[in-house]
Amino acid sequence: MNELFLNNYVIVYLFSEAVLFLIALYAFFKDISILRFWDFNNFSSKQLKLEKQSYLLSTIATFIFTLKLTLLIYFVYMIDSLSIIIPGAMCGAGVISANSYGMSLLFVKLITIFTFLLFLTLNNLDLKAKNYPLLKFKSWVLLAGLLLIFLETYLDIAYLFNIDLSVPVSCCSALFGNLEGANPLPFGLDIKMLLILYYTLFVSIILSLLLDNKLLTAVTLILFAVISYYAVVYFFGTYIYELPTHKCPFCMMQKEYYYIGYFVWGTLFSALFFGLIWVIIGLLKYESKVLKRITVTSLVLFVSLCSAYVLYYYFKNGVFL
Amino acid sequence: MVKIENLNKFYEIDGQKQYVLNAINLNIQKGECVILKGVSGSGKTTLLSIIAGLDKPSSGKVLVDGEPISKLPDMHLSSFRAQKIGIVFQNFNLLDGVSLADNAMVPLIASGIGLKEAKLKAQDALKLANIDHKANKTPIELSGGEKQRGAIARALVANPNLILCDEPTANLDRANSLSFIQTLKELHNMGKTIIVATHDSLFEELDFEHRVVEISQGSLVGRG
Repeated sequence: MNELFLNNYVIVYLFSEAVLFLIALYAFFKDISILRFWDFNNFSSKQLKLEKQSYLLSTIATFIFTLKLTLLIYFVYMIDSLSIIIPGAMCGAGVISANSYGMSLLFVKLITIFTFLLFLTLNNLDLKAKNYPLLKFKSWVLLAGLLLIFLETYLDIAYLFNIDLSVPVSCCSALFGNLEGANPLPFGLDIKMLLILYYTLFVSIILSLLLDNKLLTAVTLILFAVISYYAVVYFFGTYIYELPTHKCPFCMMQKEYYYIGYFVWGTLFSALFFGLIWVIIGLLKYESKVLKRITVTSLVLFVSLCSAYVLYYYFKNGVFL
Repeated sequence: MVKIENLNKFYEIDGQKQYVLNAINLNIQKGECVILKGVSGSGKTTLLSIIAGLDKPSSGKVLVDGEPISKLPDMHLSSFRAQKIGIVFQNFNLLDGVSLADNAMVPLIASGIGLKEAKLKAQDALKLANIDHKANKTPIELSGGEKQRGAIARALVANPNLILCDEPTANLDRANSLSFIQTLKELHNMGKTIIVATHDSLFEELDFEHRVVEISQGSLVGRG
């Protein structure tokens, strides 16, 4: 136990996560019984009870999703705030890499939110029909989401317990000079090729959405998310910070940068999540123009925002970084 | 029109099942008028609520116009009820702050009908219930009998085939009760299926074709 656990942010965070864990545990057993005993054509007491339980589960899932989304933003804010007590850390980048659990935890958090968003979409479609055609599938998705919550709880504890306040961590300082050493960009790309790929994938996603090509949309979206991470950290971010050596995914979420990072990453994940859900429900023979619109809007906002920082810098200073 | 098979409704109190309805089997044909007779607490209102989809059974099958009403998801249930079922409540359940015409339009909100058409339909329903002359009055300006007619208009506005009435004359005097029964007769002649839950003895002397089904302590007495 270290003094990290006396921090107000950490106490609130762990308490909220503990409440969610208990609710998830309750939902887990109810979901298992739905998966085992559901038979829509049966009019027995058990089946009618399961039908009521399925409503309860969708209410619980809505609550979990809302709280998880809020807690994700809070978590990012929290780790940024913790940088003042962790030696060497200047922002969330240092805190999250304080041990090997940090990045895994962040990744699991994102996957959990995606899973619950998928469940809520399936639930919405399921209740539009009269005979719950997606009930089994959505229950499996919910089960996966609940298991992810259990994993997340373990990672929460493992991460926070294993932050050693006596050992300095590496932070943006290490990220600053990254391009001077080994190339940190994927597939051996340089910045120019990274940007060509970034804009090409953007156009490809829009076209594949317009053409209703599910497979192409899924592939391009996932590729775009990966490329976008590097593009934001190693190119667009430098324009947000107006410093060519500052390559950090977290600092842009600080007050000094008007918390713009939340919007940048938020629009990227919104496009990725809603786009992939559009693909998944498409494979189940459902269509949703709303999901498609959200995907396109998020994508356009993300790319426009990133590009706007570059253009703004250029018009202000007459040069690129 | 209404088919009930082995319907049970119970509450678990201290691990014991307290049955409100017990093994109910009932078949009601289209256009039939059924008087569900029983003393207070016999389960009439619960049975009517389950048929209306306002309550869920603990077990058993309830089909209304072929649909398993207790299994319909909420959004289907609301539109099904708005289109197929008209309900007249014992306490009328009218909105005090708005006119009778607006009260009559309430069930049409869910069906997404335009305002102009809704107003016309409400006008027709008020005329059918003989209360169109009070269309602009609010419920607090009306007598019990007039409120009941307003409630009937609201039940009829979507032209449902099934009309459910829960103790419809409990708050009416004899003259208004007889007038209500006259309205029921007209609805019956129009081919509507009617179920009335009541313990009012006036319904024992109806001068049109009907069937009396007696309910006692949650079970049907005799053959449903």
